[in-house]
Amino acid sequence: MKELSELIFGKGLRYTDDHEWVSEGGDTLKIGVSDYAQDQMGDIVFVELPEVGAVFEKGDEFGTLESVKAVSELYIPISGEVVAVNEDLGDAPELINQDPYANWIIEIKPSDTGELENLLNVDAYRELLKG
Amino acid sequence: MDSSKKTVLHGWHVENGANMALFGNYDMPLWYKTGVKAEHLAVIQGAGIFDTSHMAVVLVKGEGARVLLQHCLSKDLDSCLGKGKTPLVDGRCVYGVFLKADGTVIDDAIVYQLEAESFMVVVNAGMGGEIASHLVTNAGEGAVIVVDMTDRVGKMDIQGPDSARILGKILKGPAAVFERLAYFSFKGGFGDLQTSSHVELEGGTPVLISRTGYTGEFGFELFVPIKNLVALWSMLLEAGLDKGILACGLAARDSLRAGAVLPLSHQDIGPWPFLNNPWPFALPWNDDTTTFSKDFIGAAALLQKSWGKHTLPFAGFDPRKIAAEGESFVTSETGERLGTILTCTTDMAIGRVAGEIVSVAGDKEFQAKGLCCGFVLLDKKCFPGEQIILTDGKRQIKVEIRADVRPNRTARKAMNTMLV
Repeated sequence: MKELSELIFGKGLRYTDDHEWVSEGGDTLKIGVSDYAQDQMGDIVFVELPEVGAVFEKGDEFGTLESVKAVSELYIPISGEVVAVNEDLGDAPELINQDPYANWIIEIKPSDTGELENLLNVDAYRELLKG
Repeated sequence: MDSSKKTVLHGWHVENGANMALFGNYDMPLWYKTGVKAEHLAVIQGAGIFDTSHMAVVLVKGEGARVLLQHCLSKDLDSCLGKGKTPLVDGRCVYGVFLKADGTVIDDAIVYQLEAESFMVVVNAGMGGEIASHLVTNAGEGAVIVVDMTDRVGKMDIQGPDSARILGKILKGPAAVFERLAYFSFKGGFGDLQTSSHVELEGGTPVLISRTGYTGEFGFELFVPIKNLVALWSMLLEAGLDKGILACGLAARDSLRAGAVLPLSHQDIGPWPFLNNPWPFALPWNDDTTTFSKDFIGAAALLQKSWGKHTLPFAGFDPRKIAAEGESFVTSETGERLGTILTCTTDMAIGRVAGEIVSVAGDKEFQAKGLCCGFVLLDKKCFPGEQIILTDGKRQIKVEIRADVRPNRTARKAMNTMLV
């Protein structure tokens, strides 16, 4: 297991207490999982993605990540419409283990960018991981 | 207060970045930094080592030892070896289960005949005390000494097709040691686990080397004095460096054994009758499976055959799983509720080509993404090829009842083919 000091944090990202990240700024936002999440899950063997065009309310389940250990639901941290999904993950789900920040999962057009303000900044997320 | 136990390799696991979790009240590695997929594949294609010193050793000695084990263990020690079902002899071991009188499982075990009146019984983590007291309770008249050696014996496994080539580098006189070391036989011993044969590591550490394991792949379980276990672990890692040997955690052990259709005690076998499952070879059935070749605790209950449930192996069509816990259940394709999930994991060495399951160990070219597999406990018998649905109430996954899961397994390969 990675020590806190070994964990990588992406630049310019907001985090959730479910260990997801959301990119900041722009008309669309990318969503993925944190280094802590991928380290805890272990090798990811399958990613279930939503359809492009699907609309979710904040907190809805939008997909699943399956590691050898468990199936983890993904909950959308910001309401919005899916404008893209990372198709590369279909063939190579392990990309999330290799770089959880470069390898985003979905991209959404948020219905209310104000919801971003409720997410954790990197310092607050780091505090959360300290427990 | 933290009451969890640690094996002598615990420090190594933590220093090497293992993700740790409790298993049988031991803080054990799930996987190391290389990840569980690489570990699983190492055992299929090269070699991996496992810390199995959380497992418990119980020594059963004395004039009445064999009679006691005959009374308590499901396997018939007088009729168990090979096609001819000859008696267990020195240097051979067998797999069986300890049952309660009602035919339900206390634990599974491998029983090693060290000498005519000395047996080593290897059971699961935390089960040493219970099995020892079960044996003592049932000891009857014969003179028997039962010693629970939990945490007093060093044990680790090396598994995978390169196991003998790697282990041979650190053994004294490897050619003689490996000669006629058939599947489920062993050589060597030390201390209370003395046998008539002697095997040493380079450097003089005595070792008991057993041609067993729990992955379905070729390899060995190794027993050494507990003070020598950490050194043996390091020696094997170094000796196997050129073969890409990996330390493997419990997650790889779980996915390997599930693909090999081997049960995990207290999960796939447990407090229900040991019947209608893929492991009838652990029972002393006669040729037409009408009765047993011996009487033993639990035999009468099993012969009444009042148990209507069936434990069946399955495999999926992709890596997706349904967790074997909580609200998960099994239905027919038409939605009829059929039972529960016992084990559901992903064997990462296999995939499907035109519907057929193939392994990276086979000769077909394919990209192994893994297939989910495990065991279900159903209210009715289903047959290989039938499809059922696993669900957690939200997601549904179609899987197929199987006779076997991972092809091209190496556990039973002839020793001479594994040395060249």
